[in-house]
Amino acid sequence: MHPGVSPLVEVEDLHVHFGAARAVDGASLQVSSGEVLALVGESGSGKTTLIRAIQGLQQPTSGKVTVEGKGLDAGRKREIQTIFQNPAVQMVFQDPTGALNPRQTIYEVVAEGLRIQNQGGDEEGRVARALSRAGLRPPERFFPLYPHEISGGQRQRVVIAGAMVMEPRVLLADEPVASLDASIRGEILALMRRLVDENGLAILVVTHDLGLAWNIADRVAVMYLGRIVETGPTEQILEDPKHPYTRALLSVVPETKEMEQQILIGEIPDPARIPTGCRFHPRCPLLQSGTLSDGIADRCPTDDPGPVALGAGSAAACWAVPQRFSPGDTTL
Amino acid sequence: MSEPMLSVRDLTVTYHGQGGAVPAVRGVSFELEKGGSLGLAGESGCGKSTMANSLLRLLPAGTEVTGEITLDGQDVLGLTPGGLRAVRWTSGAIVFQGALHALNPVQTVGDQIAEPMLVHETAKNDAAARVRVVDLLRRVGLPAARADAFPHQLSGGQRQRVLIAMALACDPHLLIADEPTTALDLMVQAQVLALLDDLKQERDLTLLFITHDLSVLTYACQRLAVMYAGRIVEEGPAWAVFESPSHPYTRALAAAFPTIGDRMSRMSPSGLGGDPPTPGQLPEGCPFHPRCPLAHDACLVAEPELRASGQGGRAACILV
Amino acid sequence: MSTLAMQRRRATAGRVWTQFRSSRQGMIGLGVLLLFVLMALAAPLLADARELSPVFARAQGNPQWASPGEFSPLGTDHIRRSVWAQFVWGSRVSIFVGLAATVLTIAIGSVVGIVSGFVGGRVDAVLMRLTEWFLVIPFLPLAIVLASVLGRNVWNIIFVIGITSWPSTARLIRAQVLTVKQRLFVDRARSLGASGGHIVSHHILPNVMGLILANATLAVPISILTETTLSFLGLGDPSAASWGKTLEEAFVNGAMTRNAWWYFLPAGLGILAVVLAFTLIGRTLEEIANPRLSRGR
Repeated sequence: MHPGVSPLVEVEDLHVHFGAARAVDGASLQVSSGEVLALVGESGSGKTTLIRAIQGLQQPTSGKVTVEGKGLDAGRKREIQTIFQNPAVQMVFQDPTGALNPRQTIYEVVAEGLRIQNQGGDEEGRVARALSRAGLRPPERFFPLYPHEISGGQRQRVVIAGAMVMEPRVLLADEPVASLDASIRGEILALMRRLVDENGLAILVVTHDLGLAWNIADRVAVMYLGRIVETGPTEQILEDPKHPYTRALLSVVPETKEMEQQILIGEIPDPARIPTGCRFHPRCPLLQSGTLSDGIADRCPTDDPGPVALGAGSAAACWAVPQRFSPGDTTL
Repeated sequence: MSEPMLSVRDLTVTYHGQGGAVPAVRGVSFELEKGGSLGLAGESGCGKSTMANSLLRLLPAGTEVTGEITLDGQDVLGLTPGGLRAVRWTSGAIVFQGALHALNPVQTVGDQIAEPMLVHETAKNDAAARVRVVDLLRRVGLPAARADAFPHQLSGGQRQRVLIAMALACDPHLLIADEPTTALDLMVQAQVLALLDDLKQERDLTLLFITHDLSVLTYACQRLAVMYAGRIVEEGPAWAVFESPSHPYTRALAAAFPTIGDRMSRMSPSGLGGDPPTPGQLPEGCPFHPRCPLAHDACLVAEPELRASGQGGRAACILV
Repeated sequence: MSTLAMQRRRATAGRVWTQFRSSRQGMIGLGVLLLFVLMALAAPLLADARELSPVFARAQGNPQWASPGEFSPLGTDHIRRSVWAQFVWGSRVSIFVGLAATVLTIAIGSVVGIVSGFVGGRVDAVLMRLTEWFLVIPFLPLAIVLASVLGRNVWNIIFVIGITSWPSTARLIRAQVLTVKQRLFVDRARSLGASGGHIVSHHILPNVMGLILANATLAVPISILTETTLSFLGLGDPSAASWGKTLEEAFVNGAMTRNAWWYFLPAGLGILAVVLAFTLIGRTLEEIANPRLSRGR
């Protein structure tokens, strides 16, 4: 966190419900300029729904999303047009092949944003610069090509160039390297990190890969069943996690050094049937170990610790975690 | 030393399509002893899936396969169709990636697990098969009621377990796992890996584990082989290959899975430039040289053979 | 860089043409079609229009029911008119009506399909009910009613065919639009701030165009056959010569029993040839667009 720098993106108590399924159930987070926040979780955690809601591709049920001070009111009804036409927020998608229209040339793909927003000026120059910065050189060679004529890694670079040409302040990346070969992931990640360091970009990256977070994230937020259950600086979360879910996740990541494996039983519950009390309690290894004091162990199935609050630098939503880390509880 | 469960010698697989001949596997040789486990790592285009499918002759008609594959003492490539059918699933079985299309969407899961039993007559009738299906489901951690579910009613992790149960239906000696944990969540992946490990111990299985995720292999396997452009470029004990790789490609691949807590990889993602080569359009000499940080002129001359790299392994690089 | 885009488009068109050229069925279809189109365009040069009038024919002293040997090139009919003239001038109406009706069909069908598929919701529901309504009504009774209500001329025929054929086109295009709408690049365009109009014109339409063209090429022969049917049933324009009308008159006036093959055979074969030509062209285009079809993979 950069104290004194107001956050570029603020998400406050966001809810996205699909009928009875509460995909996002009260999530709050913020990202500041020049930092990378990794939103980590498994499928069913709601992380993709959350990022799509921030981008404006998903109508939230309630809550507030503020970008550079401009708010999105969740109450407004959707029309065909996007609600959030703010060029300062751009998105990078998981599947670079699907994200490109097979009938558009690379030039048209990158220039599309400029044309939609009616930004005149030197279109060709801006497109060339964006492609070049994304590592596709010489850019002119790529202008007339179609997506099927370039490789997967190059396609993702084109998607990134298409986002960067808008000169955004915030980049929302949904699993940006998950569908790319392992050996080329590093280059794309290094590119993203460079954009942050050189341009003061803020990046919110959604991923299930903790190694990625270790590689490029300043801060990590862990999501479980629609809520953020722990957040903090990357070193702290990945080397000394407090929330039992985070601890279990890290224990099974093959890349973690020497941690005893805690394989959780079962899978993430259906978002339409969220457990009472702490939503993690049915699978919580800490609760099952019997080492918790009665005062705490009794609360877990009945009292909801609430989500991590907005602005919390370092927090974990768990009754067993010492007081200064527990948000939303006024009785302790 | 008793005979190996699986012995592959100089395996070459060439696809014949409209684009001409495409050599997907170019001379692969390895051995797997009974009860051992070998991990095969590689990225797109390296030929690992082709190789896995060739072991049970599951490749499309018209594909040219040369070399020697000896499974459980039988020469797979020389088998008659009848002999091949007998060997499939009883000597060696494949666990595929648990995507929806690996299972028949209009058949219940129980019926699909029972199918190989009835085909190979390891179960005498439907009732006997049903008993074994329930038993297998329980063994892979699924409730017996799941036998009447359809694939789309199951989660990804559950489908993967069903595929494992299916592979074990006829008690094979060799289990080939082809990307079994790709597209699964971290926790589910851990569950599946633990299950495979348990089953291996319990039934004394020989395991061939194929994936692109190098870090997963160090968990699951004793030995590790890395494939690039249709050949094995490094192989050896799993810990040795992952912790101190000899081949520059293995080094790059290992670095793509950073160890959490390792200060060297903090804020410095490492990767290779270029892209994995397309089979059929390989560079001259060592196919890795265009992307290799240590390449020099001698690398363009000829493709290096595997040579001893210390620590009981081998690597195909002239710098070894 | 629209010049670059245009260059690529021209290159793609060139590639399509090269592929088309190498297809024997496509070239045969194209050849036959060009032959008939040229004939239709050059009608005034090939046959005197006055020969279509019975009065003129009588004044000329044409024989009745003359075979091609007696009255070249294709003999005469029951009221002494030159069959060749009817063949040549009839091609105009048949081909023109076929094309015009198809344009109408495609226009209505595409608009309905795209709007319905893209907008979704209540608009989609209403449009689909409308489409189904038209689909369910039996074609012939509707055509008969419309023809009698509107009157029998070429434009009404075009209208009748268009009005009854658009529903299947609409459903086809709607299905394709629904598929394209789900694609990730549409999400990307939306996230860039694209309006619905931009998405339809830049993303939906280009990916639906191929289907529309293939559908159109196969709809023309259907329209031609429909016109033939209507004319044969006596619903066609009485003043315009068309192949369907020729067949009707031949049938009604006993050409079959008289064995006056020169009266009905040219028109029948003409229809067959043009329909086949369009079908071959359409199939070839489909195969080019979707190479898997030709390989049977």
